[in-house]
Amino acid sequence: MSKLSFRARALDAAKPLPIYRNGDIPDLNDCVSINRAVPQMPTGMEKEEELEHHLQRAICAQQVFREKKESMVIPVPEAEGNINYYDRLYKGDFRQPKQLIHIQPFGLDSEQPDYDMDSEDETLLNRLNRKMELKPLQFEIMVDRLEKASANQLVTLQEAKLLLNEDDYLLKSVYDYWVRKRKNCRGPSLIPQVKQEKRDGSTNNDAYVAFRRRTEKMQTRKNRKNDEASYEKMLKLRREFSRTVTILEMIKKREKSKRELLHLTLEVVEKRYQLGDFSGDVLSEVSVPLAEKTVYPAPICLPNGNRHKTENKIKSHKSVPKHHPHNVTVKVEPHFDFVRPHKKYTRRPKLETLRPPSRPERPHTVNNADIKQYDFHSSGEEDYLLSPSSEPDEENDPDGAFVFRRRVGCSYLAPLSEQSSSSPVGLAGTNAMWQRNALTALSVPRRCVGVARRRLGRGGRLLLDRSSADLDRALRHLDPGAFCPFVAPSDAFPLNTDTHMDTCTNAHDPAPFRTHPQRSLAQLLTDIQACRWRYFQTRSLHQNQKEESGKKALQEDDRRGGGPIVTSSSRNAVLGGVQCSSSMTGCSLIVENKLVFRNTASLDTVSKTLDSASAQFAASAVVSTSNKESKSHSPAVNGILPNSGSRQTKFSSSGSSSARLSGASSKPLPAVPQSLPHGHGPLSSVSAVSPAHTHHNSARPCAPSPPALKLATIASSLDRVPKVTPASAIDSIGRDKHEPERLALNGIAETTVAMEVT
Amino acid sequence: WWNSPSLQLVEIVEGCRLPVLRKNQENEDEWPLAEILSVRDAPGRKLYYVHYVDFNKRLDEWVTPDRLDIKKLQFPKKEAKTPTKNGLPGSRPSSPDRDVVKEAMLYHFYPVYIQHLPVHYTAVGKNGLLCLCMFSLLCQNGTTRRILPSQPGRKRKNCGTDEDSQDSSDGIPSAPRMTGSLVSDRSHDDIVTRMKNIDCIELGRHRLKPWYFSPYPQELTSLPILYLCEFCLKFLKSLKCLQRHLTKCNLRHPPGNEIYRKGTISYFEIDGRKNKTYSQNLCLLAKCFLDHKTLYYDTDPFLFYVMTEYDSKGFHIVGYFSKEKESTEDYNVACILTLPPYQRRGYGKLLIEFSYELSKVEGKTGTPEKPLSDLGLLSYRSYWSQTILEILMDLKSDNGERPQITINEISEITSVKKEDVISTLQYLNLINYYKGQYILTLSEDIVEGHERAMQKRHLRIDPKCLHFTPKDWSKRGKW
Repeated sequence: MSKLSFRARALDAAKPLPIYRNGDIPDLNDCVSINRAVPQMPTGMEKEEELEHHLQRAICAQQVFREKKESMVIPVPEAEGNINYYDRLYKGDFRQPKQLIHIQPFGLDSEQPDYDMDSEDETLLNRLNRKMELKPLQFEIMVDRLEKASANQLVTLQEAKLLLNEDDYLLKSVYDYWVRKRKNCRGPSLIPQVKQEKRDGSTNNDAYVAFRRRTEKMQTRKNRKNDEASYEKMLKLRREFSRTVTILEMIKKREKSKRELLHLTLEVVEKRYQLGDFSGDVLSEVSVPLAEKTVYPAPICLPNGNRHKTENKIKSHKSVPKHHPHNVTVKVEPHFDFVRPHKKYTRRPKLETLRPPSRPERPHTVNNADIKQYDFHSSGEEDYLLSPSSEPDEENDPDGAFVFRRRVGCSYLAPLSEQSSSSPVGLAGTNAMWQRNALTALSVPRRCVGVARRRLGRGGRLLLDRSSADLDRALRHLDPGAFCPFVAPSDAFPLNTDTHMDTCTNAHDPAPFRTHPQRSLAQLLTDIQACRWRYFQTRSLHQNQKEESGKKALQEDDRRGGGPIVTSSSRNAVLGGVQCSSSMTGCSLIVENKLVFRNTASLDTVSKTLDSASAQFAASAVVSTSNKESKSHSPAVNGILPNSGSRQTKFSSSGSSSARLSGASSKPLPAVPQSLPHGHGPLSSVSAVSPAHTHHNSARPCAPSPPALKLATIASSLDRVPKVTPASAIDSIGRDKHEPERLALNGIAETTVAMEVT
Repeated sequence: WWNSPSLQLVEIVEGCRLPVLRKNQENEDEWPLAEILSVRDAPGRKLYYVHYVDFNKRLDEWVTPDRLDIKKLQFPKKEAKTPTKNGLPGSRPSSPDRDVVKEAMLYHFYPVYIQHLPVHYTAVGKNGLLCLCMFSLLCQNGTTRRILPSQPGRKRKNCGTDEDSQDSSDGIPSAPRMTGSLVSDRSHDDIVTRMKNIDCIELGRHRLKPWYFSPYPQELTSLPILYLCEFCLKFLKSLKCLQRHLTKCNLRHPPGNEIYRKGTISYFEIDGRKNKTYSQNLCLLAKCFLDHKTLYYDTDPFLFYVMTEYDSKGFHIVGYFSKEKESTEDYNVACILTLPPYQRRGYGKLLIEFSYELSKVEGKTGTPEKPLSDLGLLSYRSYWSQTILEILMDLKSDNGERPQITINEISEITSVKKEDVISTLQYLNLINYYKGQYILTLSEDIVEGHERAMQKRHLRIDPKCLHFTPKDWSKRGKW
């Protein structure tokens, strides 16, 4: 046929196609073969499957019958339906709402545990329920938490205790059960989960791994490699920038409040001048009602929310120091509490990072929240933020698990006196206590504080953990000077067991001791004098005549930016002392020496930070003394090492200019406390007093303010880079002190020791 | 005869082919050729996982030895290492190519050897060479010697030379493309994914027999029944767990926005990024019935439209389709599934119709992502045919002229992509060349068949009940 010889035109989708019914074209059969001219469209199926028997059969059937025949249907595996317990399983009815259902996108995540109890668990529950109430949901929550906290390894019982706030017995039972069950479990978790990809690509071909994340390829310029590494670097950069912004914002905030404070102070002074209030009477009068509001909304960012104990103290302190940052008048120093009860702190377990960040115990919660404000992380990076920001701190900190952490907005009160009366050390542990602890006395004010254990705190602070002993009352009234071994025991302590301890006014009065069966006070003192038992005394450092070295030290200090912080105590603030140490280079930093007491009786203490002037003072003292005489000291004298008692005597330096510092020496010791006024006087009573004002106004120009320190610490810990902040400098000194041997090895003998071990 | 001790010792290994008894739809015995995919030791006997050659994988099953026609056993041969094979699109890599000559030889020799036991048995070995294999027999001198037939290429993980486990092009193991949710290249199709791993699923009132592999947690695959929460689709290992779960799960409908409701039929839209858990659970369930679906990547770039039927207990899932938020290839459906208990009742067509209604609102034409399954092809063809015929039959001739329509117009009205319109016209044999131009011819049996079919099609989408505003996902950053 000639019709077939020509080529049919291509089918044009835009061209109208007339529609014919079959009867319309009698000669249609002639043109059917032309159909081939239209390119055959692919079915869209896999070639091989297209040929499958049942499909072909079905297609044929459709084309022949124009309708599906029952027998020509593609067979599929069938299962019996109708679950007869369906109604019991899905209880209750659901009424169709009139409106279309609209769901809040993120309101779906309920707090319900993902773990579902099985029959095995039910058995346990029934068993436990004989003893106590444990609801299935409660059990599920427990297991759920345990499961979710055990990413790579099972949580320990200790961690579980922190994780689950449950009764000990219950917790132990559930924990043990869980551990057993998990060991027998075939899956990676008791909550069955779809296998997740591993980053290393080892799961690329694992059929059970599903829902892998699509790695987004960043679109940069075409001729540049879009490698992931550079993308990640960019992300990191952005993160760090945003962190910088955060820090700057916080600094801005701090400086603003400082300025405001200054203005306010100025205003007050002007007003007072106008009033002619030169004696401060008006001010104190005015300030009284203000101070009585105990809830003072922390006007200045004192890191440690000080709370003041007695009303009269508040009057004197609140009024004066607050508004007179530069008041240099020597005033009777008001005392206020600076007792920071050492918070019980166990090393924070790793799993805690899984918790919601709002936990109040977390030391940096507030800061984290602040930072988050500026930090826009992509969804996958949250874990980074949640990681404990103080982790690097702990590495550097000699205190380790015992590092002191302040809670934001928390006031620390001295323990009540009643509490101290109950001895925390059991009778059985008494001997152990005597071994670990030493009788301790302070040099400024001269005062024996009883039995305490020393350790180094952050920044080289010396922490004294007071142990409550039966001897406490007697010991507290002892004159520290009395412990001088050179005083003949019999002379110094004519122990009269009949004298009532309350009447004891000086150490030479015998302190009776009946309550302790094993050890009498007399025996104790004898022991001390005979170097059989340790005795520890803090020492204050004194001003030295050598101005030059002092200046040098100051310059060093300034350059380092680490202002010295000296804590001192005054008047009847019983605890305190200045401790100095010099770093390896001979430049000195005065380390805040804070005495932290646990279980103390209500001792009112004052802690103050000196301003630069007094720091200079102290620094010069340290440097000069160390230059002069510290060679005579063994590094081991550091006072941390307990067993140096006998060694000390060997190193006794007879010719040291500063007798007070030759702590190990036996001869000058009786003079130590008494000599305070002459060498140390200006420091402790004048300089140490006036800076107190500045401290409370947080307007110290030189010393890094606690917030700043904190900020630096946070920043550094967040960035996980070696810290270069003042805090770290102090830290390192603290560490150095802890490692006397190392110091000795380095050939640095110029270690000034502020503590003595007799 | 097949209980004779010598034959029991024949080692039937993976890759062997032999006729296996199965009942057809008329409940008649048939012996289709099947391939042994796996052998398992069950208490007291062995079980064989068989794939019926030229039948869909969904019919693969575990069979007892008595269903095997061991007389016609063919041993596997190593797949030819010809590069062309890997390049062939749609080739099923794990199906051994049969060399006709060698196969014939096998058939030829087999009966002979059976008669002369103990014998040396010739099988086609690993490298296409003839291997001398000896059945494990107790020889007369009492020693047991056995040379196993070479392992088939099926266990590709152990087989370093096997090219199929890797991407054909550069030898680097490649992930599937990141768009779409179907895979056409079967490079990841290994023995694990070729076999069903879940025995039975209980979902609400229904028990479902999975058709294909699905990556549910491996520890759950050994269970006789996997329990799913009917509403949130969470998978649970036991009825007790399901019971406990139901005390905590308060869902009575899919966790999305209802965008359509007419009668008892509703559609819910679920964002794969916002509601990951549900989307993933839905995908896991769907994978049980969709061979080519891949769950390699997350569900973020997809929207899921779940069709439900309401009764007093809640909105029960009937089927669903997923859809890319942004498709570069005009796909308006990625995966589509009617759950088996609801199949062959018009729901599939309803799902398809709904997907085109969405495209109509979007003002786009669309097409389902490829490859289609057999059931998918039949359903789509059926839908397309009915949709197009409906238009053609309704065309009225104005002013006495013959009614006419362009393919583009059909496409615009229906939102069916042009290519699909053409293929349907071809399939229905409507398109003809007559007197120098293309015409559409409606034969009588076509018209009759269509009218009959439309009478049965009572489930329809009512566009008025659709409350849907399309989003421009390209302006939303990443999906």
